[in-house]
Amino acid sequence: MHTRTLDVRRVGRIEYAAALDLQKQLVEQRRAGTVGDVLLLVEHPSVLTLGVRGDGGRSHILATDEELASRDIGVFETGRGGDITYHGPGQIVGYPIIDLNPDRRDVHKYVRDIEEVLIRAAADYGITAGRVSGLTGVWVGDEKLAAIGVRIQRWVTSHGFALNHTTDLSHFGLIVPCGISDKGVTSLQKLGCRASRAEVETRIAVHFGEVFGREVLDAARPASEARA
Amino acid sequence: MAYPAGFKYTKDHEWIELSGDRGKVGITDYAQAQLGDVVYLELPEVGSTVKAGESVGNIESVKAVSEIYAPVSGEVVEVNAALKEKPEAVNSDPHGSWMVVIKLSNPGEADQLLDVTQYSDLVK
Repeated sequence: MHTRTLDVRRVGRIEYAAALDLQKQLVEQRRAGTVGDVLLLVEHPSVLTLGVRGDGGRSHILATDEELASRDIGVFETGRGGDITYHGPGQIVGYPIIDLNPDRRDVHKYVRDIEEVLIRAAADYGITAGRVSGLTGVWVGDEKLAAIGVRIQRWVTSHGFALNHTTDLSHFGLIVPCGISDKGVTSLQKLGCRASRAEVETRIAVHFGEVFGREVLDAARPASEARA
Repeated sequence: MAYPAGFKYTKDHEWIELSGDRGKVGITDYAQAQLGDVVYLELPEVGSTVKAGESVGNIESVKAVSEIYAPVSGEVVEVNAALKEKPEAVNSDPHGSWMVVIKLSNPGEADQLLDVTQYSDLVK
């Protein structure tokens, strides 16, 4: 049986705009078939990003322009689903550029599968995370651990998820995250996880391979984490 | 849900109801089921031109934005503004929820589309 591979690229810190460009290139290459499935793992400097719907969530920015400017936080329009969110240091942002053809062409299933990957990664650290009906994302109680917003072009995916690892959660106070005012946010660190970023990235990659049925190629996986 | 016999279909799961040199365009029941609950539609301006197989709009469901593809080339002569106000109708009545009307610039393209039998076989 032919197994499809998933090339995990640990990009590290990258500006939001540069990551958009990178995704755009990869989507074109994936559609042309010149690259296989890729999972980009990145970290952004502090930034607010908007969805496509209506004003994209701009009205859910609570901070003034001056406050944003003084913290050097830009606002980006994106092509993804969902409302406004915050990205910043300490967050593990994943952009799967994968072809859902031929057997995974179900938008709902794709989003639920991303949630499953992150739920399993959290479980590796003894954290019981789950779903909240009608609210996409990964939750621990009433607090959101990971946000999801994706785009699908001819069944090739882009954008993805943002998992709070050691994120400074006070930055979410600048906005109404995802337009949901009666819920909070949390992070792996706040929930007692002391694992390094590299370790958590490894767990995400492993579970992504399991859930999506891909053989994971993770060249940058630190040798110290290699398992027998 | 039965697929209307008078429509033509694309492999990307759009339908077009042709009338003379114009066609109303929407997405099929199969497409809406794959998308899940539709919450937002982004449609082109009247007067814009589209090419067959290229994007004619965006549709958002479950935090996911997907593209809608033009079944034929031509000019967008009407946009269903009422549907943008109640996008959930795409789920409940996909074959009645037209999004745009395209005036075909190359009517021969319509012959390349699938008929109801071919489309029903595709999604079987």
